[in-house]
Amino acid sequence: MEFCGRGIGSPAMRPPRFFAKKRGHRRTGSQAWGTFAEGLFYALLISVGLVFGALLVTGAAVYAPAEPDVVVLQRGYDWWMWLLTLLIPVALLAFGGSGLVRVVRIWGKSLEHRAAGGLALVKGLARGTQNPPGHPGVPPCENLENSPGTVLRYRLPLESPENWTLVGFGLFALLWNAVVVVLAVGAGADLIGGTIDWLLLCLLVPFVAVGVGGVVFFVRAVVLATSVGPTQIEISDHPLVPGSSYDVLLGQGGAGLFRSIELGLEIEEQATFRQGTDTRTQRLVVRRERIAGWQRVRAVPGGRFEARVTVTIPPGAMHSFASENNSVQWRVVVRGQPDRWPEFVRVFPVVVFPGSIRAVLPEPPPEVLEEAG
Amino acid sequence: MSDAARSPQSWEPRDATPEARPTSFPRVMLQFSHPGRCYQPLEWLTVEYAVSGIAEDRTRAMERSLLWYTEGKGEEDMGVHFFERFTTQETIAGVMPEGSFAVQLPSSPLSYEGVIVKIRWCVRLRVFFETGRDHVSEHVFTLGSVPPAAIPVRAVERLYV
Repeated sequence: MEFCGRGIGSPAMRPPRFFAKKRGHRRTGSQAWGTFAEGLFYALLISVGLVFGALLVTGAAVYAPAEPDVVVLQRGYDWWMWLLTLLIPVALLAFGGSGLVRVVRIWGKSLEHRAAGGLALVKGLARGTQNPPGHPGVPPCENLENSPGTVLRYRLPLESPENWTLVGFGLFALLWNAVVVVLAVGAGADLIGGTIDWLLLCLLVPFVAVGVGGVVFFVRAVVLATSVGPTQIEISDHPLVPGSSYDVLLGQGGAGLFRSIELGLEIEEQATFRQGTDTRTQRLVVRRERIAGWQRVRAVPGGRFEARVTVTIPPGAMHSFASENNSVQWRVVVRGQPDRWPEFVRVFPVVVFPGSIRAVLPEPPPEVLEEAG
Repeated sequence: MSDAARSPQSWEPRDATPEARPTSFPRVMLQFSHPGRCYQPLEWLTVEYAVSGIAEDRTRAMERSLLWYTEGKGEEDMGVHFFERFTTQETIAGVMPEGSFAVQLPSSPLSYEGVIVKIRWCVRLRVFFETGRDHVSEHVFTLGSVPPAAIPVRAVERLYV
């Protein structure tokens, strides 16, 4: 035998462990306890929802406030009031019921059995992602191919972190200044009424300062995003395959001078993990290749700077990969250094399929095939 | 109630000396059709295995699967390419204590040794006992020949909440 695998486990009867230890990748605790507790929790939610709902529907005896001896039997709820009243018990029943169904479906099943069954399908449909046919684990590329280019076949969509920064600054400035306005209206009403609430005024000063700062940062982000001019990338074919070459057209708008523009190809790994109650995502660029670079670039008046280069995906390179919590993403990256503005980075995701297949055996050994069937 | 050995080559229970190991301790020997356990996409993978250390009448079910899973910083993801479950004594007798099966491998995802994302392919044999416990044996192999990733000199690392 070339390889030997061992696991631990004794067929002797013993109760499942309640407390667990972590030994490397392995946990000594019982999965059955966890699933049992989860089921108990959902059953409890259903019970609470049933009791709560039954009390609301049947109605408890309500006494008239003015006459404690009189019991009010008719509450006189409108239909919308019933809807509002039953919202909580219905939500408890729905949450508990769906959770209990899930627990019953996974009870006694191994991880492989669950992943091979319908649960994985439901999860995949819920996420709305579908792998390309014949390429499991490779992300879909329909969204990257639905925009034709003016010169080359496809125009790649932009995925720039600057846009999210802009949205973040805008939302913060809007919400913060809404709070400031509410406080200011209260303080103004006090002043008009002839009273001065010093505590409110002292609180208002730092709030106004932060609000003004938020607006300044938002305006600065808007100016930075719009002053440089749009960046466009067109590519001759998609999806990409390792070992193949593709034409790429870079178009950079903007009236000013660019001290440098650089076009590169990157692989970024992305891992999502839970840390306590937080869900965090770490991104790491593990490969970066410079395709081309230009110094002291100025767009033609009324037009844009354009350059056409050839990009080769390295042979044997890892293909694009995406699962629920992990991904390997290929992307074309444009880095520019305008003369009067800070450096900008614009990212254009692409999908790389697995490379050429060297060995394909069309039929298995017949004796093994019979046994497997 | 699962006892698992994820990396059979590197992990060994502390009291796993032949003297200390119980007589009914399951032991799985598995042989790949390629000596180096390296396969190419769409190639056929054939394995032969032998399970020892258990009595047949104590086996409730057996599962044979071929799957990939992720390792690294993120939560573990898994994709099952091949799965078989045997639950009757007749079918279990056909695959235990010795058996073999062949599966045509998919074109992706390829095995990958990244920095914070790793993809591993493996064959898993899981035996369920009448007592309710189960024993899983995992045997890792390589799909494709993607070179391992390395952190570039000017690595950019960002952390989002």
